[in-house]
Amino acid sequence: MPDHDVLVIGAGLAGQRAALAAAEDDVSVGIISKVHPVRSHSNAAQGGINAALNPDDSWESHAFDTIKGSDYLADQDAVEIMTQEAPKELLHLEHLGVTFHRNEKGELGTRAFGGASAARTYYVADITGQAIMHVLYEQLMKYSDEVARYEEYFTTGLAIDDGGACVGAVCRNVKDGSMELFGAKSVILATGGNGQVWQPTTNALICTGDGISMAYRAGAVLMDMEMIQYHPTTLAGKGFLITEGARGEGAHLLNAKGERFMERYAPNKMELASRDVVSRAEQTEINEGRGFPDGTVALDITVVPRKRIHEALREIVLVGQDFAGVDITKEPIHIKPGNHYTMGGVKTDVWGRTNVEGLYAAGEVACVSVHGGNRLGANSLLDTLIFGRRSGEDAAERAKGREPARPSQSVLDDEQARIGEILGREKGSGRRVSEVRKELGETMDKHVAVFRDEAGINTALETVKRLQEEARSCYIDDRGSVFNQDALGALELGYMLDNAEATCVAALHRTESRGAQYRTDFPERNDEEWLKHIDLSHKDDAPEISYSDVTMTQWEPQERTY
Amino acid sequence: MAGLKLAYWPGCVSRGFTTELHGSMALVAERLGIELVELDRANCSGAGVIAEHNQELADTLNARTFALAQQTGAPMMNICSTCQGAQSECQQRLDADSGYRAHINETLAAEGLSYDPDGFSNKNFLWVLVEDYGLDKLKAEVKRPLEGLKVGPFYGCYILRPKHRLGYDERPDRDLYLEQLIEALGGEVVEYDGARKCCGFPIITMAREVSLRQAGTHVGDALDAGADCLVTPCPLCHLNLDMQQPEAAKIVNRDLELAVLHLPQLVGLALGFEPKQLGMGRHIASTEWVQERLAAPAPA
Amino acid sequence: MAAYTLKVRRFQPESGDGPYWETFDVELDPTLSVLDGLLQAKDRDDGSLAVRCSCRAAICGSCGVKINGQSALACKTQIGEAKEIANRRDGGSEPIVVEPMGNMPVIKDLVTDMESTHWTKIRRVTPWLLPEGDPPEREYIVPPESMIDITQSMACIQCGACVSSCLSMEADPDFIGPAALAKAYRFVGDPRDAETEERLHDLANDPHGIYDCTHCFSCIDACPKGVAPMDQIMRLRRKATAGYEIDDHNNGMRHEHAFVKIIESKGTLDESLLLQESFAPGLKGKLAPRPGAIKGLIESIPTAIRGLRSGKMRSLPKLIPGIHPKLPGDAQDNVRRIYAHAEDHSVELNLYIRGEEAEEDAPVPEAEAVPAAAIEPEPDEGGG
Repeated sequence: MPDHDVLVIGAGLAGQRAALAAAEDDVSVGIISKVHPVRSHSNAAQGGINAALNPDDSWESHAFDTIKGSDYLADQDAVEIMTQEAPKELLHLEHLGVTFHRNEKGELGTRAFGGASAARTYYVADITGQAIMHVLYEQLMKYSDEVARYEEYFTTGLAIDDGGACVGAVCRNVKDGSMELFGAKSVILATGGNGQVWQPTTNALICTGDGISMAYRAGAVLMDMEMIQYHPTTLAGKGFLITEGARGEGAHLLNAKGERFMERYAPNKMELASRDVVSRAEQTEINEGRGFPDGTVALDITVVPRKRIHEALREIVLVGQDFAGVDITKEPIHIKPGNHYTMGGVKTDVWGRTNVEGLYAAGEVACVSVHGGNRLGANSLLDTLIFGRRSGEDAAERAKGREPARPSQSVLDDEQARIGEILGREKGSGRRVSEVRKELGETMDKHVAVFRDEAGINTALETVKRLQEEARSCYIDDRGSVFNQDALGALELGYMLDNAEATCVAALHRTESRGAQYRTDFPERNDEEWLKHIDLSHKDDAPEISYSDVTMTQWEPQERTY
Repeated sequence: MAGLKLAYWPGCVSRGFTTELHGSMALVAERLGIELVELDRANCSGAGVIAEHNQELADTLNARTFALAQQTGAPMMNICSTCQGAQSECQQRLDADSGYRAHINETLAAEGLSYDPDGFSNKNFLWVLVEDYGLDKLKAEVKRPLEGLKVGPFYGCYILRPKHRLGYDERPDRDLYLEQLIEALGGEVVEYDGARKCCGFPIITMAREVSLRQAGTHVGDALDAGADCLVTPCPLCHLNLDMQQPEAAKIVNRDLELAVLHLPQLVGLALGFEPKQLGMGRHIASTEWVQERLAAPAPA
Repeated sequence: MAAYTLKVRRFQPESGDGPYWETFDVELDPTLSVLDGLLQAKDRDDGSLAVRCSCRAAICGSCGVKINGQSALACKTQIGEAKEIANRRDGGSEPIVVEPMGNMPVIKDLVTDMESTHWTKIRRVTPWLLPEGDPPEREYIVPPESMIDITQSMACIQCGACVSSCLSMEADPDFIGPAALAKAYRFVGDPRDAETEERLHDLANDPHGIYDCTHCFSCIDACPKGVAPMDQIMRLRRKATAGYEIDDHNNGMRHEHAFVKIIESKGTLDESLLLQESFAPGLKGKLAPRPGAIKGLIESIPTAIRGLRSGKMRSLPKLIPGIHPKLPGDAQDNVRRIYAHAEDHSVELNLYIRGEEAEEDAPVPEAEAVPAAAIEPEPDEGGG
C-alpha cells in the first residue's frame, strides 16, 4: 500500500502547487491524476492571472472588484487573503521560470480584464494557464524524490475511517487496471470542476466533478452549487473558449444589426463588464431576435491591431482557424454564452480544510468562496495557486507527528466490488453511458443555464433523477483491464449526476437572482433573505439543505452596475 | 509555352561530386527548349549550415543569389532540393520584413545588387516541369517511354517540409509531383516507406551511423518493394543513397544494389538520351539494370 | 452531415493477438474533427476503442495519433480535410487511416507509452530553470523579446507528435529528440537561467544530442502549436558554435566552421575539402589530428576512393587546398565582403517575434532601419 503524509488527488495547477508546497515542509507527498498532469484542464485558462503588483494598484481595489463581481456572495476574509497574497505568488511563479509578458523596460506587463478597475492581469500570450502549469510540472520533475507522481491513476473513492476522518483513497491504475489503496494522513482534493455536466461546455472531457461527488459522499459539505458560470465568448456548438483577453485587448461585441449592444447593458465597462452581466446581455439579444440565425452574436477582434493579435492572441487565431474556419484578424467570429466554470464546490475554510477531518480541497473543486455568484476573469488561476499552496502547507503541518493512516482494507474491497459489478453488467441490459451523458448535458444546458425558472429547473431535476436510475444499469463494451476507459466513463457518469442533482436542488432553492443564478421568476437580488450560502450535505442519498453566512469584512453590498 | 527562360542555379554539388547532374540537366533543358541562364557568380545556399552559424550571413548570401537571378529578368530555378529549402528559408525572412530586407540590401548595394520580393520566384526543376512546362507537354516529348521501369520516388526533405514555407498552401500537390512525373514518362511508381523520409546526409559527418542507417533503410525498403531504381531531385540525397550505398549496406547489414537517378537523368532517358550521355556510368550503385530494363521489349 | 470511414489500427493487449485494422463508419459534420469521429465510433459502436483525449481544442496534448501517416492531434484535424487527404492521390473513397503515434510502444489501440520514450527524454535535458543565487525581490528584468522567443517553446503541449514523426529517432531511438531539445532551448534561451554553457556543452557532446538531428523538418510540420522544434535545435547549435564555440566530440562545430570557411574562400562548396576540413581543420589539424578526426577520415576513405574510381570526385581529399575554383571575377570578393559585414554584425530575425503578416498593418518605409524589437543581437562570443 502506497503511503504518504500528504496525498494530492488531481494534478492541475491547484494540485501541483499543493504538492510542491507540502514537499517544502519535508513531508512525504504523493500526487495522483487520472490523466498525465500536463493534460489537466488548467491548460485552458488563457487570459492571465490577476495580482495588484503595480505600486499604483492595491489589493483593496482587487478585492473590491472581486467582491462586486461575486455579487457579494464571496467570503470577504478569503478574498482579502487571496488578493493580498497574489503579488508574492505571481513573483514566485516568475522566479520559477514562467515566461510572463514584459513591458519595454523588461518588467512584468499587464493587460486589462473584465470587471477589473485596473489593468492587473499578468499573462503569457494567451496560454497563461498552460505556461504556468508546465513550469510547475518542471518543478515536480525537479523534486521527483520528494513528490511521488502517480500519473494515470483514477480515484474511485475516498477512504474514511471509523471516526469520520479521511485517511486515504482508492485508485485504479489506468494502465493495467489494478486497484490500489493509498494511505495518507492528509488528503487534498484538486480535481477541478464539473463542466461536462453541461453540453456544450468549454471544459475538457475530464471535468466530470469527480472530487465534488467523492467529497459529498464522504460527508463533506457542498456550497454555492447553483453558481455555474456561463462564459460570454464560446464557439456555438463546440463550446470552445475565446479568451476574455480578446475583449481585454479591445474587441467589440456586435449583434446581427451591427450594434455594439453592451452600450445598453453596461455603458461604462461595455464589453469588460462582469461575465454574468455580459452573458445575460448576449442571451437577451439572442432571445429577442437581434442575434444571428445560428443563435449567436459576434465578437469583432479585427479592431485590435494586427501586431497585437499576433503577439497576445495567437491561440485564438488558431482556434478561429481550426475550429470555426474563421480568420479572426479579418472578420468577426460568432460566439454565445457557454458553460465554463463551477463557482461552487466543496466548502472549505481559508486553509482548504473541509468539514471532514483530514480532507482538503483546492481550486475549482473547492468553494472557499472567493468567487461567490460570479468569478472574475483571471481570478481562477490565482485561486488555484493561493489556495493550492495554503492547502499544501496546512495539510503538511497537520500530517507532521501524526501516526500513519490505516485505511481499512474493506474500502478497497468495496471499490473493487463496485467496479466488478459494472464490468459484469450484461450487454444490452440498459442504455449506453454515452447516451445518458448526452441527455444529461443537453438537459442542463437547456434548463440550468444563463436564465432559469422554477419549471425548467424542476424538469432538469426530474430528468437527473431518472438518469441516476438508468445509470445504475448502463452497460459497457470493454471488459478488459488495460486502459478500460469504458469502465471509468461509467464511474464519471455517476460523479456527474451527483453534481447535477446538487446544482438543480440549490438553483431551485435560491429564489432570487444573484451572479450567475438569474431566475426569471425572481429577477431581483434579495439581500435580506439570500445574502447567504446554500450548503448541501449527503443525507439519505439526496442533498440536504442548510445555510451559512457570508463573511463580511469591509465591503457592504451595493447595487451592481458596470 | 515557347521560350521558357530561367535563371539557373545549379548548386555546388552538381558541379563537384555529381557533375552528371549538371550535365544531364543541360541536355534535357536544351531538348525541352528551356533556356538556362547560369548564375555563375552566385554562391552556395548554405544548405542550412550557414544559417545555423549566422542567420544574417545566410540571408545576405542568398539575397545576393536572388538579386543576381533578378538581373537576368527570368524566374530562378534550382536542381537541388537542399538549395530550394535553404533558399526558401532565407526568402521567407527577407519577404516578411521590409526593414530587415532594407538592411540586407544595404550590404548588397556595394555590388550593385538589390533583392526585390515583388514577382520573384525560385523553383526546383521538379516544380518547373510540373507547374510551368507541363506534364502533358513533356509527355509529347517522350521518345522512349519508361515502360516496365519500376521507379521509387525520393523527394528529399527540403522540398517537402515545412509545407507553409514551400508554397504548399497554393500548390498542395507538390509532394505528389514525382509520382505524377514518373507516370507521365511511362514508368511505374513504386510505393515504399521511404519516399518522403530523410536520406540522412546532413549528419553524415556528425552521426555517421544514424545517417547511413537512414539511407540504407530506404534503399532496402525500395528494393523490397520491387524498385528498379530511385529518382531524386536532390544531389545531396544522391550522395547518401548512391555514393554511400556500400557503406550504408554495412550499417543495415544487408546487400544493397539499387541505382539512384538524378531527376534530369530519368527525364533524359525518356527523352531518348543514352545512359552514357547522362553520365549514368559515374554512379556508385550500378545503373546497368535500368539500362537492361529499358532495352528489354516492353511488357505486353 | 457526411459519412466517413475510419480505418483504425487497433491493438488489444489482453487478447493475445497482434495489431489489426478495423473500420468504423461515422456520420458527422465535415468541420468536426477526427477525434469527434473516433469518439462517435467509441460511443456508438465499441466502447473498448482506446484513445487518450480531453480538451478537444488542441490545448491538452492528449490525442496525438497518425492520420493518413501524418503525426497530428486528432482533435485539430478536421475530418472532412482528412478524407480529402486520404483520397488525394487516387480520388475515390479510401478510408481515413488512424494509427497510434510512431517511435513509441503501443499500450492499447491509439494509446502509446509516452513515459518510456517522450517523458524520459524530456527529463534528460534537466527541464527546470537553474538561476544563479537567490531570486531578486521583484521580477527578473529581461528583454521583452526574450520572453516571446522562449514562449514559442513554452507553447509546446507535450503531445509527442514531433517525436512520433522524427526521422532521426527512427534510425536512432536514443536521439534526445525534437520535443526535449525544444524544451532545452526554453532554458538556454531564458536569460534567467545561469547554466547556459553547461547545458549547451552537454547537448553538443552527447552523441544523441543536437548533432543527431537530421534536419528533416518533420517535427515542424507535425507540431500543432507552431513550436518548430527543429528551429529550436538549430538555435541550440548556433548558440553552441557561434555563441560559445563549444568544440564537441560529434564534430558539429568543426563541420559547421569548415563549411562556413570554405564558402568564404571559394563561394561554392567542395565536398571533399569539407570532409577533410571538418575532421582535421587547417595545418595544425593535419600535423596533429585528434583521434576522432583520424577515425572520421578513415571512415570516409572507402567512400572517397569509390568516388575517385567512378570519376565523381575531381581529386583525392586534398592535402593541398586550392584546386576547387573560386567564384569568377570580383564575385568572391563580394562574398568575402558580405562575410565581413555579417560576422561583425550578425542580426537574427525571429519570425515568431516579428510575425509574417504584420506588414499589412503598417508598411515600414523601405529606408527605415531594422525594427529593434524584432531583432535579437547574437550572444557575446563565449560569454557565460
